[in-house]
Amino acid sequence: MDVFHGLLSGFEVALSLHGLLFVLIGVTVGTFIGMIPGLGPITAIAVMIPITYGMDPALALLLMAGVYYGAAYGGASSSILLNAPGTSEAVATSFDGYPMAKQGKAGKALATAAIASFFGGTISIIFLTFLAPTLAKVAISFGPPEYFALMLMGLTALSSLSDGSTIKALISATIGFMIATVGIDSQTGTPRFTFGNAHLLEGIDFLVLALGLFALAEVTSLIITRKEKVGKSNTIGSLKLTKNDFKEITPTVGRQSVLGFVIGVLPGAGGTIASFLAYISEKKLSKNPDEFGKGAIRGVAAPESANNAASGGAFVPLLSLGIPGSGTTAVMLGALMVLGIQPGPLLMGDHPDVFWGVIASMYIGNILLLVLNLPLIPYISKVLKVPRPLLTSLVIVFCLIGVYGISFSTFDLFLLLGFGVLGYIMRLVHFPASPLLLAFILGGMMEQSFRQALTISNGSLSIFFTNPIACVLIIIAFASFLVPIFKTLRRKAKVDQSVDM
Amino acid sequence: MKKIAAILLLVFVMVISAACSSSSSSGKPEKTTKSNGEWQPEKAIEITAPSGAGGGWDTTARMAAKVLSENKIIDQNIGVVNKPGGGGAVGWAYIHSKKADPYKLFITSPPMLLVPLNGQSQFDYKDFTPIANVIADYAAFAVKADAKWNNLNELFADMKKDPSKITIVGASSPGSMDHIQFVKIAKAAGIDITKIKYVSDQDGGALTQILNGSADVYSTGVAETVEQVKAGKIKVLGVTSEERLKGDVLSDFPTAKEQGIDATFVNWRGFFGPPDMDKNAIAYYEKKFKELSDSAEWDEIRQKYGWDEMYMNSSEYKEFLKKENNEIKTLLEELGLAK
Amino acid sequence: MLNTTNKKTAVVLFFVSIIYLIASFKLPSYAYVPIDSNVIPIGLGVILLILSIALFFIKDEKTGEKVKLPKEDLIAILVVVGFILIYIFLLEIIGFILITALFIFFCSWFLGFKKYITNAIVSIVLPFAIYYLFEALQIQLPQGILPF
Repeated sequence: MDVFHGLLSGFEVALSLHGLLFVLIGVTVGTFIGMIPGLGPITAIAVMIPITYGMDPALALLLMAGVYYGAAYGGASSSILLNAPGTSEAVATSFDGYPMAKQGKAGKALATAAIASFFGGTISIIFLTFLAPTLAKVAISFGPPEYFALMLMGLTALSSLSDGSTIKALISATIGFMIATVGIDSQTGTPRFTFGNAHLLEGIDFLVLALGLFALAEVTSLIITRKEKVGKSNTIGSLKLTKNDFKEITPTVGRQSVLGFVIGVLPGAGGTIASFLAYISEKKLSKNPDEFGKGAIRGVAAPESANNAASGGAFVPLLSLGIPGSGTTAVMLGALMVLGIQPGPLLMGDHPDVFWGVIASMYIGNILLLVLNLPLIPYISKVLKVPRPLLTSLVIVFCLIGVYGISFSTFDLFLLLGFGVLGYIMRLVHFPASPLLLAFILGGMMEQSFRQALTISNGSLSIFFTNPIACVLIIIAFASFLVPIFKTLRRKAKVDQSVDM
Repeated sequence: MKKIAAILLLVFVMVISAACSSSSSSGKPEKTTKSNGEWQPEKAIEITAPSGAGGGWDTTARMAAKVLSENKIIDQNIGVVNKPGGGGAVGWAYIHSKKADPYKLFITSPPMLLVPLNGQSQFDYKDFTPIANVIADYAAFAVKADAKWNNLNELFADMKKDPSKITIVGASSPGSMDHIQFVKIAKAAGIDITKIKYVSDQDGGALTQILNGSADVYSTGVAETVEQVKAGKIKVLGVTSEERLKGDVLSDFPTAKEQGIDATFVNWRGFFGPPDMDKNAIAYYEKKFKELSDSAEWDEIRQKYGWDEMYMNSSEYKEFLKKENNEIKTLLEELGLAK
Repeated sequence: MLNTTNKKTAVVLFFVSIIYLIASFKLPSYAYVPIDSNVIPIGLGVILLILSIALFFIKDEKTGEKVKLPKEDLIAILVVVGFILIYIFLLEIIGFILITALFIFFCSWFLGFKKYITNAIVSIVLPFAIYYLFEALQIQLPQGILPF
């Protein structure tokens, strides 16, 4: 079956009355689940498994894919409005989304997120449609040395996250990396820094860290300004993006969708890493990097297009190889198995209806999500009209449920509070928090792949240089680290000269 | 103000409808017949999955709960609760605090033995009440389709020559299931198990490492290999069941035993209760899980996931666990991992 | 000596890195891998140690930006932290609905929300809505002492 034929038959399934209804239910439920703290795409799909059991597999999958996509969309709203991301994929969105909302541009931020998500999702489905078999080769081309090099490249970009003191950004990143070392070490089974506490054995969840450092720390400033009457942040502003806005975000969405998709294709990387890399690379490319973190529209568009593209990309190894590259796709795999479909290299041949049905439903799901989300924005933004004291309590409850829903343990709630205090102290002493998060998500994977590679090579470092992809990535990493240093040195030299004159 | 009122009304309607739907499902008549020492549940039963949503334990528990209630095997509501953390240790500590409570079951499998032996949980299987085992799964050792080895003996012969050239990859850390299942078979084949080179890679990374040649041998569950074998990407050198498995493709996998390696490894999965459970309650659940195991619906689920039937009642289960625990302990001690 | 925030922070970080390093050196060794579980942590500890020393001696780019927090605000923050602690302690004891309702009501009231009726409605409706929403998805939040 060729692509067009397959796609056509897929649309036949997805555009039938039943099909459309299931996609619609899926995306609606998914959007709400994504917005509710404590429920993310993984939980959403896991609870769908018993519900869809016994249903027509093609329809059940439409529902499931809808939920998966919807949850990825829904996560952005709380990130932008409350600075409290509901899913880890939406953390980077808060960096500029929340400042925008504070400036009274919540409507625009949410609209940007929705549009960027739509294009990110759609671009990735187009890739998935036409290039899945080719991309499957990319998905397995990365072994431990390549992953190490990729994570190293991401980490060297952290200097761009520091506004002000580089040394403070480095300290922040080192602490983030240290937090990532807590838990059982996968390569040796040794529990590290757990102090005999079983709750720490599986490490610290990214969302606990992010909600503490960002959302709870922000609560303190809500408390300080509790008596402020209707301020700027209570207005939602226009939803409409101006021509200029579109001009600004179009290239961003284009390149970050591609980046997000490629990262999503790699097993183990996923939407969170994609959104962070998108954010920092966009900041590096920007002519006005200083605007980032202060409400830059590109700072919202980049992570949102990347994380949605990544969730499409994650389907490449799942559908074409049977490799689940993330927690969410692993649950998807389980769901498919219950429906009697074994995802694997033969899926496209054995169940073309399923493969193409899912792809077609993604096109439709994405459009439905945009249509559903844009009109919802004014209503969702109403949350900003809630009086400050009540809003403060609600944000706190949001964080508490968000964390409790991950682990169902009060230990993690104490941890959340601890990170909240840490986040507040970091604000007081002017330490940026985002390098900490970046080092946390990249550091853990970097360490593991570094050590996997060295176990395989029996301890020889040559494995990183005999491997072409890894070697190139490492060179880029060093270049991106050293070039800015040279630049500043040269600039300083110039300044000195001009002073001399 | 009007709009706020409207939103509140909407939320209110949602709550009421949710409340109604849940009360209608839980409003079943309570059974309290208690004659000659028989035990009947009088309220909702809670099955704990000591992992997050979507894992193996969670799926098994949710599917079992579904069949138990939909087939009216158990008339009470059955809820599944997730207690993730510590590879199970957090969930076990939770159950341990519910001493003798016959409404708190949990699902478990070999990590129940491995995690405590690795010193990562203060409670081990002896601290709980094994009720019934329901399914079995087996390990498979696979290599890339064009690898030079065609059976376990060829692989082990090469490993004896130069163990540093062969990398084993699995999804979990040393001392846990993917590692130990390989170690167990390798030891029976006469390999020095302290020389085995093992790396762990999560999130589908292990299979990726086999496909791109980073690692050589993939230690995993049988079900994970089937589709890849069908597609000609990998080949299975051996499985750890007693006899050949039944089913398409599965029956082609040679067992370690038939290759002259006298060892097996079972990934058993069953239900436990808290410590000091009443023996009448145990008898009740034994009967119900037997009914579950014999039901056509459960058989269908087993086939979909590629699980084998393996029912054991409480006393058989205890014996089995004791034997398994001793074997694993010896292996971990030899590796220096036992605590 | 410790007159700037940076210097104080540097001292704290110095001790953090020392403690982390001690814990790293104490990690048990595992014989079968070339890079053991303590190598990266030791590296990180050393890096933090060096960075904290550097921070101590570096000239502050942003001196004088002393954060002044009115006492009143600090107290407010501490009280809210207290509320959160109570919430965490009681969540699994008295149940999600009850504690969440109490938290929203009292926290909002404490922070100066004077519309008692609105406050009460939100505090009651929201926890119920979330609880049953989770239940509809077959996820159980702590039930606690309430009979339903």
